[in-house]
Amino acid sequence: MKSTILKTCVVGILCMLISAPVIAQEDELKKLAGFIDFGDLSATYGEPKISINIGGTLLQFVGVMSENSNPETSEIMSQLKGVRVFGYPIADDPSVAKEKFSEVKSTLKSKGWEPVVQVNEADEQVLIYMKMNGSNMEGMTVMTVDEEDVMFINIIGKLDPKQLGKVMDGLDVDIDGAIDLD
Amino acid sequence: MNKYDEKWEERINALLDGDLSNEDAEMLKAEASDDRELARAIIEAYQLQKAMDTIHVERAPDSLRKKLKAIPRQQRPAFSFNLLQPRWVTALAVVPLVMISVSLMQPDTPSAAEIAKARQDLALAFTYLDKAGQFTGREIESTIGTTMSQAIAGSVIKNIQSQNETSKEKKV
Repeated sequence: MKSTILKTCVVGILCMLISAPVIAQEDELKKLAGFIDFGDLSATYGEPKISINIGGTLLQFVGVMSENSNPETSEIMSQLKGVRVFGYPIADDPSVAKEKFSEVKSTLKSKGWEPVVQVNEADEQVLIYMKMNGSNMEGMTVMTVDEEDVMFINIIGKLDPKQLGKVMDGLDVDIDGAIDLD
Repeated sequence: MNKYDEKWEERINALLDGDLSNEDAEMLKAEASDDRELARAIIEAYQLQKAMDTIHVERAPDSLRKKLKAIPRQQRPAFSFNLLQPRWVTALAVVPLVMISVSLMQPDTPSAAEIAKARQDLALAFTYLDKAGQFTGREIESTIGTTMSQAIAGSVIKNIQSQNETSKEKKV
């Protein structure tokens, strides 16, 4: 009995220690104006199909690593503070995701985000919002939802969409099979 | 123990050990010449010291020495690794504190594997972003035609670009 309690305590302490940096990274991003909270749809759809949460420190390191081979990528990275992507398969029950989609859209409006592109098709919606501070871009949010998937993308910092291709070339990462582009 | 033992024991021991000053030694001898009991105490102490010096210390057999050494170990309580004992609870409480302190003191440097994973994740994130961009471009194109699409998409990109340029100018 004592042993079980002790094991539970030890596992609990280890879990706290392991998760501490992740929580700290999320907390660090939450303070930024370009951050937007997408909530958690895991209760309805289980683990996300894709979950990316990269903070400033890692982005800086990726930039530094690309400095010699690709200075342009390094420059772009230096202006980014965070990149977050969450995607869930929603085919079983798209209604909850669509509700969340509308909820986040309301939050964006109330927090002064500006709509850039809004596509409302019967089977698919795409929203692109930007957070500006004067002439400075503080963040970009892209949300897509169709009958199969919902995707939330939050770029914290400054990103020129025209440079996306260059960034991807600069990263030189093979992602074939990791994403369904159709 | 008689009264002389109590009164003179320290001085007699000092005399026999040679620690008494000449003056004090002469004084003690003078007192002993007038006091038979004191004189006898000095003599007895002297004889005892001599007797002790002549005693030859025999080395005990090894078997006996081992048995004697084992006695404290047998009487000592058996070592028990009970983690709920106060000393272990304290030690366990200190471990996470030490780990946290060490982790806080270490520079926040990601490993090569973490950076490689971040590159992979970034490429994936930007691909999704690109996919969304392509979709909106197609939708705009199909809705209002290529010319207008380029005008709208172009103005959006120009808007973002101009913000980048403005901030670069500010930096300069």
